[in-house]
Amino acid sequence: MKATLLSAFLLIAATGNALAGSHVYGPFPADYVEECGSCHVAFPPQLLTAPGWQRVMEQLDKHYGADASLEDKRRTAIADFLRRSASTRDKHAPTEASARLSRTAWFAREHGPTPPAKVSFAECTACHTAADRGDYSERSIKLPAGWRRAR
Amino acid sequence: MSIRILAALAIATAGAVVSSTAAAISPAELQTSLAAEARQADPAFREFSAQRGETFYRAKHGGDWSCSTCHTDNPAMPGNHAVTNKAVKPLAPAANPDRFTNPEKVAKWFKRNCNDVLKRACTAQEKGDLVAWLLTVKP
Ligand code: HEC
Ligand code: HEC
Ligand code: HEC
Repeated sequence: MKATLLSAFLLIAATGNALAGSHVYGPFPADYVEECGSCHVAFPPQLLTAPGWQRVMEQLDKHYGADASLEDKRRTAIADFLRRSASTRDKHAPTEASARLSRTAWFAREHGPTPPAKVSFAECTACHTAADRGDYSERSIKLPAGWRRAR
Repeated sequence: MSIRILAALAIATAGAVVSSTAAAISPAELQTSLAAEARQADPAFREFSAQRGETFYRAKHGGDWSCSTCHTDNPAMPGNHAVTNKAVKPLAPAANPDRFTNPEKVAKWFKRNCNDVLKRACTAQEKGDLVAWLLTVKP
């Protein structure tokens, strides 16, 4: 039972790549959304490098101030999926120990240095209204009143 | 005392592993197995108390958060995650029938959220009291 579920997961996982240039990254495997999309949107694996995801997956019990710990089998399957779907570009490399994808060189260039008042850059849905479907295309962006991307 | 908690935990963990392949359960069935655990931990255990459960739910337990921080003062209402702002569906089964029907999911979230709020695991009695109260909450 477990083994079938896992291999089904791996199969779907292999097809979870973004169409190049479209900025639509979903749909993601159901297990990934279930485990990594319950407290925030399931972030696109393609926006962080494999070493970055590894750092995230190694400290799930101390996850940005919350306990996001997972049972070993699930954690390994998801870590594999993230590693295989990760970016290989330097601009998506983590720049600090907590490996936030909102702190990569790419993210900073695209978003500027300062988030809106009382909103964290990690809260993608605050501006990308379809982020829960992995859709970051320009037409679904709606910026909070008064915020403009600074340079 | 800590040995008792450990024993309860061991049972809880074993339960979760077994139930990962098991079918959905009802909150009442969950209560039955929590009661068995509570009795194992403390032979003097009698029954769960909805009143204790409500107090537990609203208390901060010495930290910054209570259960109500994300699940709201009224668990029949949708809440918001305290850090990420993401919507959280109601915790009371009367408002959200999926709650307390998947033992693996229940164990996973009790572990995480008790750790975040109490800096330790919840006991079987604490969990049972809480579920007893949640079952009395009407939308
Ligand atoms: C128990 C809740 C919870 C779960 C489950 C969870 N996270 Fe998080 N995550 C958080 C919180 C809280 C933050 C911090 C958000 C903030 O700073 O605004 C966060 C932030 C992150 C960030 C950094 C966002 C940024 O700023 O770039 C990444 C990456 C991340 N999570 C990945 C994951 C992955 C992968 C999983 C699944 C294995 C996961 N999360 C599951 C609560 C959770
Ligand atoms: C405060 C608003 C805001 C938040 C929060 C935010 N973004 Fe953005 N994002 C933008 C803006 C503005 C752009 C630039 C669009 C453009 O270049 O026209 C952008 C661009 C992007 C793009 C490129 C899309 C394109 O059309 O060029 C991606 C991918 C993206 N963001 C992902 C994310 C992710 C992932 C998060 C959460 C971790 C996030 N964003 C959080 C405002 C935001
Ligand atoms: C920081 C926010 C936060 C706090 C504080 C919090 N929870 Fe949760 N809780 C969540 C999220 C997010 C979920 C999963 C999303 C969902 O299922 O809606 C969840 C789910 C649960 C579940 C899963 C129930 C089921 O069957 O689906 C239980 C049980 C639970 N919480 C109990 C508690 C208890 C007990 C406390 C207090 C000790 C607590 N929570 C405090 C955010 C929180």
